[in-house]
Amino acid sequence: MGADPVDEAAIIAWVDGELTGAEAARVEAAVANDADWRALADRHRRMKARFAAAFAPLARPPAEVISLADVRARRAANAVPAPSYGWRRWAAGGAIAASLVVGLFVLQDRGGSPGGGVPAPVAVALNDQLSGDAGPVRVALSFRDRKGQYCRSFTGDTLSGIACRAGTDWQMRYTAPGSAPATDYRMAGTDGARATAIMGMIAGEPLDRAQEDSARRANWR
Amino acid sequence: MDEVERRLASLLPRLRRFAHGLARSGPDADDLVQAAAERMLKARDQWQPGTHFEAWAYRVVRNLWIDTARSRQRREAVHAPEEQGMLVGVAGDAEARVELSYLMRALDRLPDEQREAVVLVMIEGKSYAEAAEVLEVPMGTLTSRLVRGRQALMAAVEG
Repeated sequence: MGADPVDEAAIIAWVDGELTGAEAARVEAAVANDADWRALADRHRRMKARFAAAFAPLARPPAEVISLADVRARRAANAVPAPSYGWRRWAAGGAIAASLVVGLFVLQDRGGSPGGGVPAPVAVALNDQLSGDAGPVRVALSFRDRKGQYCRSFTGDTLSGIACRAGTDWQMRYTAPGSAPATDYRMAGTDGARATAIMGMIAGEPLDRAQEDSARRANWR
Repeated sequence: MDEVERRLASLLPRLRRFAHGLARSGPDADDLVQAAAERMLKARDQWQPGTHFEAWAYRVVRNLWIDTARSRQRREAVHAPEEQGMLVGVAGDAEARVELSYLMRALDRLPDEQREAVVLVMIEGKSYAEAAEVLEVPMGTLTSRLVRGRQALMAAVEG
C-alpha cells in the first residue's frame, strides 16, 4: 500500500468524516481496492466507536448545576453561631471560595441506580447512628435539603456519599468511592466534591446532636 | 440563572466526559470539572455573548488540566497508586466500568498534547476545526497530534 496516494492520516480523517470531494473519493477508492487500507480504516473506526461507547454514559445526565447564591444569601440573612463541625469547616478549605459555586451532582449506580436505594448496612447506619458514631459505616453529617427531607452524608468501606430520606427509604443523592483502600490525597479530593455537593443541597445549617437524636426518634420523617 | 449558568448547566455532562478523557481517575475528573465550573463562573466576563461558549468552556477545562498537570505528576510520583481510582458516576455494570478504566489508562499513556486532541475528536466528537479552536493550534498541528495519538492508542488497546 506504499504507492497509494493516501496515508494513515487521510484514512483517519476519512473515518472522522473530515474529507469531502476529491479527497474523500481518493480514500474511498483506496479502501475499496486495497484490503490493507480497508483493514486499517476498519481498525480506526472500531477504536473510535469503542472509545465513544465507553465514555458515552458519562455525558448523560444526571448532573446538574445548582446556583448557591440563594443559599448563601439565605444563610447570611439568618446567620446563627456555627456548630463546631459541619460545612463551615469544609468551606474554609478554599474550594468553596468562589462567589458562586456549581454543585455537580453525581447520581449513579453503586449500590443503587440514580436516585435508587442504599445497601442494607448503609440504611441501618443511616437509621440508627448519630454523626460521629463508630461503625463499619460512619455518618458524618445530617441536614435538611430544600424540600425539607433529611439527608445524611456517610463513609463506608465500599460506598460513601449522601443519601436523603424518601418515604421510609434512603435514596443516594451523591456517591463517592468507599474509604478503603483509597489513598489520602484521593480522599481529600473526594471530600471536596462531597462538601460542594452538600453546599448545593443544604437548606439552613447541619443538625446538631440533639436535633439528630430528635430526628432519629421521629424515624427521620 | 443567567446566560452563562444556563449554558454551563446544559454543557456540564459533556464537560464531565471530557474531563474523564483527560484526568487519570474518576475522582480527579470530577474535581477537575468542578474546579473548571467554578473558574468559569468567576471569569464569566471573559466569555463574549455571540462567541463560542462551548469552545471557551472546553478550553477552561483543558487549561485547568494543564495547569494542574505538573503538581499532579509530582504528587503521583510520590504516591504511585496501583489503582487509578474508582470510577464514580459511571452508570452500568462492572464490565463497562472496567472497560472505561482500561481505556482511560491507555489515554493516560499518551503525551498530553496528543491526548487532548484524541479526546476532543474521538470521544467528544468535535470536528477538526472545533478541536483546533479549543486547543488554539493550527489545523496541521491538530491533525498530526491526532494521528500520532491514534496510532499509539491503537497499538496499546489492540495489543
